[in-house]
Amino acid sequence: MSENELSHLIKMANQIASNIGIGSTEEDCVKKVVTHITAFWALPMRQKICANMEEFAEDLNPIATKALLEIQTNLKAA
Amino acid sequence: MLHFFDPRTDLDSEIDYGTPPATFDPTPDAELISLSIDGNEVRVPEGTSVMHAAAMAGINIPKLCATDSLEAFGSCRICLVQIEGRRGFPASCTTPAEAGMEVKTQNDKIGKLRRNVMELYISDHPLDCLTCPANGDCELQDMAGAVGLRNVRYTGQSAIPSHTHLDEKKDTSNPYFTFDASKCIVCNRCVRACEETQGTFALTISSRGFESKVSPGQDDAFMDSDCVSCGACVQACPTATLMETSIIDKGQPEHSVITTCAYCGVGCAFKADMKGDEVIRMTPWKGGKANRGHSCVKGRFAFGYATHQDRITSPMVRDSIDQPWRKVSFEEAFDFAATRIKGIQEKYGRNSVGGITSSRCTNEETYLVQKLVRAAFGNNNVDTCARVCHSPTGFGLKTTLGESAGTQTFDSVEKTDVIMVIGANPTDAHPVFGSRMKKRIREGAKLIVVDPRSIDLVNGPHVNADYHLQLMPGTNVAFVNAMAHVIVNEGLEAADFIAERCETEAFHEWKNFIADERHSPENTEQFTGIPAAYIRGAARLYATGGNGSIYYGLGVTEHSQGSSTVMGIANLAMLTGNVGRDGVGVNPLRGQNNVQGSCDMGSFPHELPGYRHISGQAVRDLFEDAWKVKLDPEPGYRITNMLDAAVEGSYKGLYVQGEDIAQSDPNTKHVEAALRNMECLIVQDIFLNETAKFAHVFLPGTSFLEKNGTFTNAERRISPVRKVMPPMPGLEDWQVTLGLSKALGYEMHYEHPSEIMAEIAALTPTFSNVTYERLDEEGSLQWPCNDETPDGTPIMHVDGFVRGKGFFALTEYVPTEEKVTRRFPLLLTTGRILSQYNVGAQTRRTENSSWHGEDTLEIHPQDAEDRGINTGDLVSLASRAGDTHLRALVSDRMQPGVVYTTFHHPETGANVITTDNSDWATNCPEYKVTAVQVDKLISETASSEWQNQFAEFTEQQIAFIDK
Ligand code: SF4
Ligand code: SF4
Ligand code: SF4
Ligand code: FES
Repeated sequence: MSENELSHLIKMANQIASNIGIGSTEEDCVKKVVTHITAFWALPMRQKICANMEEFAEDLNPIATKALLEIQTNLKAA
Repeated sequence: MLHFFDPRTDLDSEIDYGTPPATFDPTPDAELISLSIDGNEVRVPEGTSVMHAAAMAGINIPKLCATDSLEAFGSCRICLVQIEGRRGFPASCTTPAEAGMEVKTQNDKIGKLRRNVMELYISDHPLDCLTCPANGDCELQDMAGAVGLRNVRYTGQSAIPSHTHLDEKKDTSNPYFTFDASKCIVCNRCVRACEETQGTFALTISSRGFESKVSPGQDDAFMDSDCVSCGACVQACPTATLMETSIIDKGQPEHSVITTCAYCGVGCAFKADMKGDEVIRMTPWKGGKANRGHSCVKGRFAFGYATHQDRITSPMVRDSIDQPWRKVSFEEAFDFAATRIKGIQEKYGRNSVGGITSSRCTNEETYLVQKLVRAAFGNNNVDTCARVCHSPTGFGLKTTLGESAGTQTFDSVEKTDVIMVIGANPTDAHPVFGSRMKKRIREGAKLIVVDPRSIDLVNGPHVNADYHLQLMPGTNVAFVNAMAHVIVNEGLEAADFIAERCETEAFHEWKNFIADERHSPENTEQFTGIPAAYIRGAARLYATGGNGSIYYGLGVTEHSQGSSTVMGIANLAMLTGNVGRDGVGVNPLRGQNNVQGSCDMGSFPHELPGYRHISGQAVRDLFEDAWKVKLDPEPGYRITNMLDAAVEGSYKGLYVQGEDIAQSDPNTKHVEAALRNMECLIVQDIFLNETAKFAHVFLPGTSFLEKNGTFTNAERRISPVRKVMPPMPGLEDWQVTLGLSKALGYEMHYEHPSEIMAEIAALTPTFSNVTYERLDEEGSLQWPCNDETPDGTPIMHVDGFVRGKGFFALTEYVPTEEKVTRRFPLLLTTGRILSQYNVGAQTRRTENSSWHGEDTLEIHPQDAEDRGINTGDLVSLASRAGDTHLRALVSDRMQPGVVYTTFHHPETGANVITTDNSDWATNCPEYKVTAVQVDKLISETASSEWQNQFAEFTEQQIAFIDK
């Protein structure tokens, strides 16, 4: 068994959302996930997951999805 | 700064004061008492013995049964003195000094009495001093000289009772020391050292009078007894009775150099006892502030690997891993590596290469490797093996308390009242600290052990856990939440502390969160398996039992929620006000010697040295200025991400210094696939380790005995590492990194590691006053060490948290995806044992393997019975990641449903089983939870498919070295 890089990234994003994306408002939760992923994930990882997220929409939990959309926007802006 | 007498620091560690210093609080009001010894006035703290007071005045009263690492015993009577106004001749070691006392340590009467005592000892002692291994270092000989013994009336065996020690046999069962009972004077120092210093209680004295004798257990050989070979008894023995075998073979050392153990995160200080440039003994140094003169079997005895025949001392290169190695010069190897790395970056992009720094190498070496990656590779793809052990500690403690490090000194345990040990096994993994902890427990501190296994602390000699919370692997967060829930709902929190020291809003949000019924022990019992009443009892004890301290290890961090547990632990400490003074705190026990240091030195891909995020413009400016290079503002890959990208094919080059990811990282097959995909793997190590079998460039490394530098232990203590022999490959590791960097086109200039430390200090505010000169003066320094704290910082967060106000983080319990199934009905958890260290590359090449020659699988009797397994049977251990075969050990240390093994031997392949699940915040692998099945193997010789491939590959790779 070897998970490929992308499925591993999806799993990590979900894990982050369920661990840190809790408490207070949804907006806050999304923000925490965005901050975490931006601070700790290498650029190619963020690019890769954002470029492929449509395909995996069903596998991502809602907070993770919202956070990644925001990261996608940030990447485009940069 | 005002100076007060402090017996901890103001005593000379080269002098044996005979009895331990009195407990003394060096505050302005602390009073000393004054007495006269042979006419000299001496001022000492109350509780000091007359013997100790005399030694402070430079007067050495003869002694045999006394030594200052042990409580006075008063058996030999050679230390007697006269005290004005008192009758008789009291023993100075057991007599406390009193104000106004007038002591005489020497006169004719005393001299005569001492000679009589000595005469009796010598009458039962062989007189072969000239050929005795202790010659030159024998207290019995010294004392015979000191008391002026000139003749012995009762020689031979006729004058004394039938049994003497003269015909006792030698016990050479221990590979490192010999027990020659014929030389024993029954002073009891060894027995007390084993009890007081080590806490193992392996030795006893049987019979009485002339017939009394020392023996391990019930007259066992040392190797068959409970002895753990720590060496404390050998150190304490005043004669040649207990003697290092290396000294028997080679004679006494002629000089010594103080250095630091390169094994675990305790960071014990040692004297390397030398003959020329050969180390013949390592002796724990009494002046060492982490170990206070104690040691374990690894640091004390297992140094022979440094000169083992398997060392590779020449650089080697090859084009692909199915080719033999070519020995080349360092220059050629550097050029070969640099050309390839540059080619890869041209073809696959700047991010396609990176480096791994070592948690075993020095701070200076680690600093250089991360500098090379950031400056010469031009990216931030640098990580360290702390990723796979304590990265959640860095994240969790930084988030909550503001600094990625433990809060205490090891000494702090002496002031604690309640010790909670979570997911750590100090008596095996941090033995010297384990001994100090056991001592405090014997003195009365309460103990809570949180561990799926019944570790030694739970039920050891004179140490018992008040609570053993035997949780299921993977449920740590449910456990810490339940503890906090009880404390909050029963109103046991330290309200004033929280109000003053912590963020109010975050606390209230957290309090609402934790007060919810779902965190109650009654509810979490279904996950953790810990009866609710136990949790309630333990929580009350920790919250109200006085100074509460938490010590934790990899059983906390190596989980999918490792970071959450670390934050949960910090929450508990803040909630009960147990931070910021002696005896309390949050104490991560670090695995390898320099885990703390490698993290401090900027080994993580998102942080520059001193834990400053790479995205910060101001910090980057500082480093860009000093390094004369542009830095990438984006965080780089972590080890796990590097390996994923390598399997995918976008990551092609890696420089690994002093780590063995092929053995130590989880899911071996995945790691191997990644390594096979590399186009340039550069390994710098002292042996051809598992990773090096996949390498294209091998750069020979040096052991801790061959170079200068510093290590930083689990208490943030920076200690010197000193070169005692020349580097076998000709270059020290830091010089090798410089050579590689130069070939890559980025030159760095240092003449000596002290200059590297000077650069670290200039760029890192917590290190700004650290210099080699200061380290030599102080022996060691605990960071932060800067203008505000020039002597270092033993206890952190004293007046406030480093982040300002403490932060209560929400820690929701999210069960791991790794669940038992019908196919894999058991949970595997992994750990280590005393005699072996990490991947075993060093300890397996020493006599330590006499204790642990192979990894075994511990299994509960019920699970074993269900499968027809007995101790010693060969079993297969399988998970969804892979399978391997090893021998079973049926043990009621385990709980039903949980099995355990160690990962010290590569051929076991424990990590073939572990999966690539990891901590949500840091990607620290979830080593501690893997769903497995265990089956008895019918065929006795069978190896698993992986093991067969491993054996074949190893054989081929070894044949590729031209020795
Ligand atoms: S073995 Fe050494 S320390 Fe132990 S009683 Fe004999 S002489 Fe003393
Ligand atoms: S080596 Fe250590 S454990 Fe063994 S008998 Fe001596 S003091 Fe005790
Ligand atoms: S391995 Fe650890 S406890 Fe043992 S001597 Fe070395 S630093 Fe000390
Ligand atoms: S040294 Fe005092 S009685 Fe032995």
